[in-house]
Amino acid sequence: MPLEFDPAILGKEFDRAKHDPVTAEELIAFSRALGATSPCYIEPGPDLIGHPTHCVRFRGQKFFPDDLPAGLRIRMSFDAGKDIELGVPLRPGDRITVSSTLHQIYEKTGRSGSMVFVVIRFTLTNERGEMVATIDNRMMYRGEN
Amino acid sequence: MASIRRWDEVSEGDEIGPITRLLSKDEVRAYARACGVYFPRFTDDEGARQEGLPGMITPGNMSMGLLATLIESWAGAGALTRLGTTFRGLVLPDRTIRLCGAVTQKDDDARTVELDVWLESDEGERLVIGTASVKLA
Repeated sequence: MPLEFDPAILGKEFDRAKHDPVTAEELIAFSRALGATSPCYIEPGPDLIGHPTHCVRFRGQKFFPDDLPAGLRIRMSFDAGKDIELGVPLRPGDRITVSSTLHQIYEKTGRSGSMVFVVIRFTLTNERGEMVATIDNRMMYRGEN
Repeated sequence: MASIRRWDEVSEGDEIGPITRLLSKDEVRAYARACGVYFPRFTDDEGARQEGLPGMITPGNMSMGLLATLIESWAGAGALTRLGTTFRGLVLPDRTIRLCGAVTQKDDDARTVELDVWLESDEGERLVIGTASVKLA
């Protein structure tokens, strides 16, 4: 039976979180943990920027909206993947705001049965209003609705 | 942030990597700490088993980050504009992994290149797959 939900919940911001300023130490530790060697990622100074995937470190205060369909709220989800669009680089001192929206809900049938995918979109902006990244977090739910 | 790979050096079908490496548990813990996800599933075998996992696992975001690092080691820092990944299987630490990629398309007008990228086990199983876009000079 197809999952039923009110399409009005799509695209509506359900969380907005403001983070403390990013430090150079955080940027460097993250890049080093991934084996990045470019000076712009690991050397302190005016040219230091964040690794392109540093943006995944920023999250909202809650991951799912309160009006997520009831059939999904009680089921365990798995991280199925992410899509990142990059904007301006992250720099030390940036204060990042994360706006969270329920972007998409869709169903698929695979070899292991039916699956529902919920895509939560994080839009990251800095204090100048510039887009740092858009991250689509794809969560997968297995089994019956 | 200037790209190190020139547009006219790239052809569809070019391979990126592979980079072969042993991902240690300490490296995974260091990432978990740096990413703010220092949870038992990423840091401790016993804690992970209590969650029904075979032992500690590599965060999906770390696999994605390793693929981004692969791409930029080829294209140059700052060249990556988009990365999409699908997590298909558990990436277990203390095992050999390979980071691989290939050029699938060139856009002459935008001077962008589309890539397929993947992380595979030593047995050749693709545990993480993805696509990416890079902009070259």
